[in-house]
Amino acid sequence: MAYQILLNVLLACCWMFLIDTYSGTSFFIGYVLGILCLLIMRRFFSERLYLMKAWAIVKLLIIFIKEVIIANISVLKTILSPKSNYKPGIFAFRTELRNEWEITVLSSMITLTPGTLVIDISDDRSILYIHAMDIDDAEKAIHDIRVSFELGIMEVSR
Amino acid sequence: MNGHDTNDLILQTITKVTSFIILLFSFHLFLAGHNNPGGGFIGGLMTSSAIVLLLLAYDLKTVRQALPINFIYVAAAGLLIAILTGVGSFLFNVPFLSHSFGYFQLPILGKTELATAVLFDIGVYLVVVGITMTIIQTIGEKE
Repeated sequence: MAYQILLNVLLACCWMFLIDTYSGTSFFIGYVLGILCLLIMRRFFSERLYLMKAWAIVKLLIIFIKEVIIANISVLKTILSPKSNYKPGIFAFRTELRNEWEITVLSSMITLTPGTLVIDISDDRSILYIHAMDIDDAEKAIHDIRVSFELGIMEVSR
Repeated sequence: MNGHDTNDLILQTITKVTSFIILLFSFHLFLAGHNNPGGGFIGGLMTSSAIVLLLLAYDLKTVRQALPINFIYVAAAGLLIAILTGVGSFLFNVPFLSHSFGYFQLPILGKTELATAVLFDIGVYLVVVGITMTIIQTIGEKE
């Protein structure tokens, strides 16, 4: 991925040299033309095109923002309800991710969605210990959310 | 550093990125000192804070291996540079620590203002980094 971005930047610089104007505009035009070149030559790369990865990152962000809004509303409901009948608890979440960046992004997302908080990671990096504000009804739903996050992150790093 | 056995994966991963940003920001503060808030002192403190973040995320031994610098020597070199900029003013028959600046045409950068006060600032910067890191490492070793 980084190799493709570097190639694209180099192509944009080549374009600036070719048309002999050095400005942001000409760089941008060269960059777009470089994307076109990469599209034509995409079968020769061992990895997939980096634009797909960028799109996966955007999709992950959209999923994340959606989850944050939903979780905020549910936490607000819990806080404002007159009867406090929620049960906090800690559960273990077995993750498929192995790369340290993937685990960091996943746990940051879990922590940033209200109601759940990553407390610790096991030594072999396979289990996240998560504190949930309401463990009773949430655990199933939370697992679904985690799977959506995890799948999104896997989509990025595939 | 920390007595308990935890997996500091998140802290270490984030540190790998943020220390770069803090280092870059410290250089920015150092170079901005002439016309904007900033300068050698705050830049040096910021650089040491990046190293302190590394010390918090990893342990003393790892950072020692990654940065094999004796920070006392850094402080000494900074003092030497600061004194030499003062002594350098004798070459032009002006009082001790007189500073001057001028505009020069540099090959790539174009018209640039160069000031001898920056050299003095480098001395201040190195002294601050050396002293701060020496203090922190000495305290950290006394387990």
